[in-house]
Amino acid sequence: MPVNPVTCDSILSSDLVRASLRRRDRRARAANLFVSAGTALVLAGLLAIPLYLLTALASSHAAEPIEWPRLGVLFAGSLRATACAVAVALPLGIATAMFSAHFCAPRLRAWLKPALEVLDAIPTVVLGLIATASFAPWLKGHVASVLALVVVIPCLLLAAGFAFGAPSRRDGWLPLWLLPLVIAATTLTIALGSTRGTTLLVPSSPWNALLVGLALGVAAVPLVFSVAEDALFLVPRAHAQAAFALGATRWQALTTVVLPAAGSGLLAAALLGFMRCFGETMIVLMASGNTAIAGFDPLAGLRSLGADIALGMPDAAPAGAAWRDLLIAALLLLAMNVLFGVVAQFVRERLRRKLSVESAA
Amino acid sequence: MMRARAGAGGTWLLGGIAAACIAIMLGLLAFTLGSGLASLWPTRVERIELRGGEILFGEVVESDADSLILRGSEVERIGEGYRRLRRADIATRNAPPDAVVVQLGDGRRRFGAADMEVSLAAPAADGVAEVLRPNAMGPFARTGVFLRNLFAFVATPPDASNLAGGVLPALVGTVTLVLLMSVLVMPFGIATAVYLHERRGPGMRIARGAIDTLAGVPAIVYGVLGLGLFVHGIGGGVDRWFHADRLPVPTFGSGGLLWAALTLALLTLPVVVVSVEQGLARMPASLRAGSLALGATREETMWRLLLPAARPAVLTGLVLAIARAAGSVAPLMLVGMVKLAPASPLDGAFPYLHPSRQFMHLGFAVYDAALASSDVIRGVPRAYACAMLLVCVVIALNLSAILLRNRLRDRYRALEP
Repeated sequence: MPVNPVTCDSILSSDLVRASLRRRDRRARAANLFVSAGTALVLAGLLAIPLYLLTALASSHAAEPIEWPRLGVLFAGSLRATACAVAVALPLGIATAMFSAHFCAPRLRAWLKPALEVLDAIPTVVLGLIATASFAPWLKGHVASVLALVVVIPCLLLAAGFAFGAPSRRDGWLPLWLLPLVIAATTLTIALGSTRGTTLLVPSSPWNALLVGLALGVAAVPLVFSVAEDALFLVPRAHAQAAFALGATRWQALTTVVLPAAGSGLLAAALLGFMRCFGETMIVLMASGNTAIAGFDPLAGLRSLGADIALGMPDAAPAGAAWRDLLIAALLLLAMNVLFGVVAQFVRERLRRKLSVESAA
Repeated sequence: MMRARAGAGGTWLLGGIAAACIAIMLGLLAFTLGSGLASLWPTRVERIELRGGEILFGEVVESDADSLILRGSEVERIGEGYRRLRRADIATRNAPPDAVVVQLGDGRRRFGAADMEVSLAAPAADGVAEVLRPNAMGPFARTGVFLRNLFAFVATPPDASNLAGGVLPALVGTVTLVLLMSVLVMPFGIATAVYLHERRGPGMRIARGAIDTLAGVPAIVYGVLGLGLFVHGIGGGVDRWFHADRLPVPTFGSGGLLWAALTLALLTLPVVVVSVEQGLARMPASLRAGSLALGATREETMWRLLLPAARPAVLTGLVLAIARAAGSVAPLMLVGMVKLAPASPLDGAFPYLHPSRQFMHLGFAVYDAALASSDVIRGVPRAYACAMLLVCVVIALNLSAILLRNRLRDRYRALEP
């Protein structure tokens, strides 16, 4: 039995200490209860999403058959918008991530990452507004110029690098040197295009999949960038340094050592980018025209699952057939996202384990 | 040598694309803020004389190669004064310094020469709000008018048409919603983060799996849950039990502030959990070990030592959640956001906060003014002004989160041995 060295009483028998112990024990139990109950409520709330959708569907008694053809067109519309967006977001996001992780000067990188995070924070309704109110009327006459830009800028950069570039220590600040070049080339191409190409490739509607793809793609760039950059940065420095020691340039180290090691991380970035674009509602709602058109034409309008829910649900009666079809649309969205999310999570986790084992060895 | 040059080409390509990303980002920000501010800048009043001898006063709101659109005086109602003029028909076009704009109390604007001021103002029910001579103003006077417009935009309610006036109710609605959401999300988010950090076993694995999987669920699906379960399910039930006297008029059974806040709380929960848990995980193990060695229980260590030390991480989670909530519009379109709310959810009558009321939201004001407005030419600049406010709020919150995170890192550096 412990004894108080001053009063020579046994400590545990002291009323004061026993009361204090009881109080502490009560508090610990209350804290534990709070943590467990809070987590249980959170889990209930999160798991309520799939459970609610499934039970509501199972208990629906609407007489009309489900309109599968219409849902199919909506699904195809979502896919078409997502395909255009991914075609924009992946090259931009992954190339920027490769530069940021492998070439970038540390001081520039410290600015680039938070800056793209801020872009991620711009509400999508604002991007939708810019796309629909300002960009759509302009894009209608300049589709050919935009396509020309996609070809001209990379060719110009490659050619300029081939002619004037040499691996140097200043490569880390390359984006700032190249910013004027890119802007000048863009304005020149657009100026040329608006004198020559305004009648080429005129879309049937100013609100089309190409416009949605551009806006949605820009919105997805930050996510693709940050996932891809994390994956590339996770590759141990020793790998690249070993390549340098064998005489490789930075570019060679990137393509032969770092990219193969981080390959599955880039795949996860692509999957998460796809997921983000597929589930996005506001941009598609504002910029797509919301006409359910089937087919693969990127210059035609579309209507997506999310936009259909946002437009139809407030007016649908909770027991009717329209409500049930919208629930199915929500379930489709949820299923696609969970599927891609789980695959992406798995791929990322495997990469992390592989690289941590290698760096420990 | 050729291979090194090819490598340089590739490097330039990557650098150029990174430059393009920077340019797009800065361009988008500058465009939004610029368009928003430009929509509040006082415009020039033009005097146009047609070849037929007719004289028109107004603002040119759109122009292209062979025609322009003039907004003239709105005699009867707002949004009626538009006129498309072909450039070939215009004899003279100038901006006389004595031209006046009379802004009426209900948002209508009338234009004319100086001697017409009295007749322009005459048949107005709500009275005259402002008489300006924008063409005669110097840059300082214009800036003054601009600042007054900005203040009026932020601090006054809109008029009945939702085309003129300010966005105060939308701003109040957004802020109230976000604060209510924070109050709901923070205790649960912290509890879940502590659970994930402290416990091992199947419960922890299920919780982590659910949060990881559901973090990527589209916002609109949360909206479906909010409408179907919260509004129709729980709200309908509450009405049947407690407000049966008022049925079939719904109290909680229609979209309202409380359901919207709950939906947003679910939506932002993963952000808070991940942020707090990362903060706890970064705490040095010696801190915890020292506390336990001094006789504190595990709970006392967590609540008295680790969580207070991780306060910046908790704040970062809160700020990121607020930024995400302030920017998400799609789920709210289903659970109680309206174009013009009859009564504010926050007012002077007891109990001051009315969680069952519908509310207005800045993000929805952007959507509504751009796409559902009865006067598109006036609606788009208004949408940009709302967008500017929204972007300013969200970016300020995010920057503060980033600064907090950096401070947090400095703190850890001090804790390391």
